[in-house]
Amino acid sequence: MTSQTDAIRITNLVKRYGQSLAVGDLSLTVPRGSMFGFLGPNGSGKSTTIGCLTGLLDPTAGEVEILGGRFTAESADLKRRMGVMPETLGLFDPLYAHEFLAFVARMYGLEESDARRRVTELLAALELTDTRKTLAEYSTGMRKRVAFAAAVIHSPDVLFLDEPFESIDPAGVALLKQWLRRFTEQGRTVFITSHVLETVERLCDRVAIITKPGKLVWQGDITVLANDGAIDYRDRQFESLEALFLHLTGEKYAELNWL
Amino acid sequence: MNWELIGNLVRLRYKLMWAKTRSRNGKIALFMAGYLLFVLLAALLAAGGLGAGMVAIRSGQAEPIAQAVLSGLFVNAIFGTVLLGFGMNAAFSDGELRRYPLRERERFVARHFLGIVDPFWFLILALEAGLVVGLYVYGTYSFWNGAIAVLLLFVCGYLLTRVAGVWIDRLMNTRSGSMVVLMAVMCLSLVPGTLAPVLKKNPALLPGILAVLRYTPPFGAAAAMTHVGADAALGLGLVAAWAVGLAMALVALERRPLGRQQVARKSGSLWDSPFDRAAALFGPRMAPMVGFWLRFYLRNNRFRMLYLFSLPLAAFLTFNVGQMRKGGAGLAVAAMGALPVVTFMGTSRIAVNQYGYVGGAFRRFFLFPTDPAASLRAGSYAAVVLGAAMIPPAAILWAVFAPRPLDARMVLMPVVNGITALFVFHGLGLWTSLYGPRRGNYDKSLGNDMSLMGNLVVIGVMLSCMFLPMLLKFVAPAAVSLEYWWLTLAPAALAVAFYAACLRGASAAFPARRERLLAIVEGKA
Repeated sequence: MTSQTDAIRITNLVKRYGQSLAVGDLSLTVPRGSMFGFLGPNGSGKSTTIGCLTGLLDPTAGEVEILGGRFTAESADLKRRMGVMPETLGLFDPLYAHEFLAFVARMYGLEESDARRRVTELLAALELTDTRKTLAEYSTGMRKRVAFAAAVIHSPDVLFLDEPFESIDPAGVALLKQWLRRFTEQGRTVFITSHVLETVERLCDRVAIITKPGKLVWQGDITVLANDGAIDYRDRQFESLEALFLHLTGEKYAELNWL
Repeated sequence: MNWELIGNLVRLRYKLMWAKTRSRNGKIALFMAGYLLFVLLAALLAAGGLGAGMVAIRSGQAEPIAQAVLSGLFVNAIFGTVLLGFGMNAAFSDGELRRYPLRERERFVARHFLGIVDPFWFLILALEAGLVVGLYVYGTYSFWNGAIAVLLLFVCGYLLTRVAGVWIDRLMNTRSGSMVVLMAVMCLSLVPGTLAPVLKKNPALLPGILAVLRYTPPFGAAAAMTHVGADAALGLGLVAAWAVGLAMALVALERRPLGRQQVARKSGSLWDSPFDRAAALFGPRMAPMVGFWLRFYLRNNRFRMLYLFSLPLAAFLTFNVGQMRKGGAGLAVAAMGALPVVTFMGTSRIAVNQYGYVGGAFRRFFLFPTDPAASLRAGSYAAVVLGAAMIPPAAILWAVFAPRPLDARMVLMPVVNGITALFVFHGLGLWTSLYGPRRGNYDKSLGNDMSLMGNLVVIGVMLSCMFLPMLLKFVAPAAVSLEYWWLTLAPAALAVAFYAACLRGASAAFPARRERLLAIVEGKA
């Protein structure tokens, strides 16, 4: 049983695609009310892990518990309390933004009047007021904003954000960060993957770093970095998340004499 | 012209095609396509090209027969490409080619060179070449004149379909474009049906019509094949002029910016949608999903084009196939087969490949706190509703143009057959969506991007609809006679039961197919 203080508990998670191992025996816990950064190099299994945590993929082995309940692809009650912004955004391009958000809201069980009110407020807040354009005609940054709005429209208790800040302009990023901080202040949990380590360092209070194939190499509190402190790891001091990340995942330098 | 890079792109195209055959389904598709193409080519070469050449020589009517064969091939190629989408799959778009160091003219040549080397166009070329060989072997006609003529005709056919494709694409993106396309197709499809009786009554019109047809590419090619000297040169010149003209028209059309249908919304009308009103009929749980799928279908250019084409196509099939049998009974039997086609023609592409055009948004269905298979069922309900909506206009049109005296059973029987086809097709579509998916491009109006299984279902059901009543007329005439109209009710009831069983079965199979479907629709398989 998950501790009352844990929002997510992953135990010995394994995911294979045929013979290929994508996630190998991953175990970690995410406390409730935390802003949790889930980091790893390309192809390390971050999106696959999120797929298993959100019901998109069936784990080959292991167990996932969310908000105290065992989570499977059929856990409708838990899904209602989760918001997800997938890496691919998952937008239905022929729809207009308000139609898409209203559709998502209705699918999460919101009443029609509530759905319309929240859609209108979200569109105004995220400056997505051009109702003549379908989602296919939106810029990448605007599409990201719509995907973020779709993830939060039903006020979830746990929010999974896969690469949320890339392609969004600085003002948009500032707004999202402000919303996410308020979100966690209310005791809700945010699970973020990102390659922008500076943002993760400033925003998150806990971080897990994985390497191929989905193996946990470090998990811990990073709030010490905000106070000009350093992270201790095996008798070494790391003053930035980037330094720790590169140390754990292996720095690579390749010389190309023509470049 | 950067021929080296264009050559590399051709190689890349075939490498990509070959890469698809690495999967098990790809190997089956390759084997089936190769086998079918070989059999078709052998049969058609014998019966079509070479055979026609032999008949042409023996009958002493070389030019009229060459005109008829080449015109038939030309029209069929256009029909096959524009309606069924064969040979219209461009390997690379202009945007994709812009990343290579190619100038505008080189990109145009590269795109269309890649387009014309499609196996479908080679089949047409082989058939036309068969006629040249036939005329050369059995007669005394010039092989080289014929070879040049069919090559130019082959290019003309390709260019004409491209011009038609781009024109339709541009029109479908304008507000009144669909109506223009509908009127044009209506007029074209009614020509053969109305021309035959008119010519029968006024045979004097025929020379005039033939005089006009002399200026068409197939007649020009026929002249080049069956004449020598100046007449042959004139024929070749005519086809060449058509090719140049069509190429210029294609360049001009492609340069025109693609319009976008933009409907300015008033704040009050933001939430007032006919899609949601229609979807509400399915109850509060299914309504949002059905509403989504209705939008997905109705905003798709290919759906709209095929939906509009289906009525004139049914009229064309009824009057052309029916008149071959002579008299009202023939027309009634033809209508029994043709009217059902309208119930799935429009929805066919998406219905047999429901998730193929959704792309990465497919994963959204698994994030919702509902049964993910509900998306499959809702998509099918939307397709059935749209298919069923075509039955009343088709029945009314048939009632208006049916032979007199009109018997209500003459309308009822095709309508009941339409219901049968509607449920059988969409029941099969559920399975092909799960087991024969293929990543497609939602924005493309033309081209055939269905999987082998999808093609088999669409073409198979269409041919069954068209020819089953004809077959029954010979084997069991009572089954298609008005007297026993109630016989059509049993297949309709069975079709509804079949559809219900498919809904249950496909929903149960859906979870096991989830990850495979995801990999295919996201382009990772």
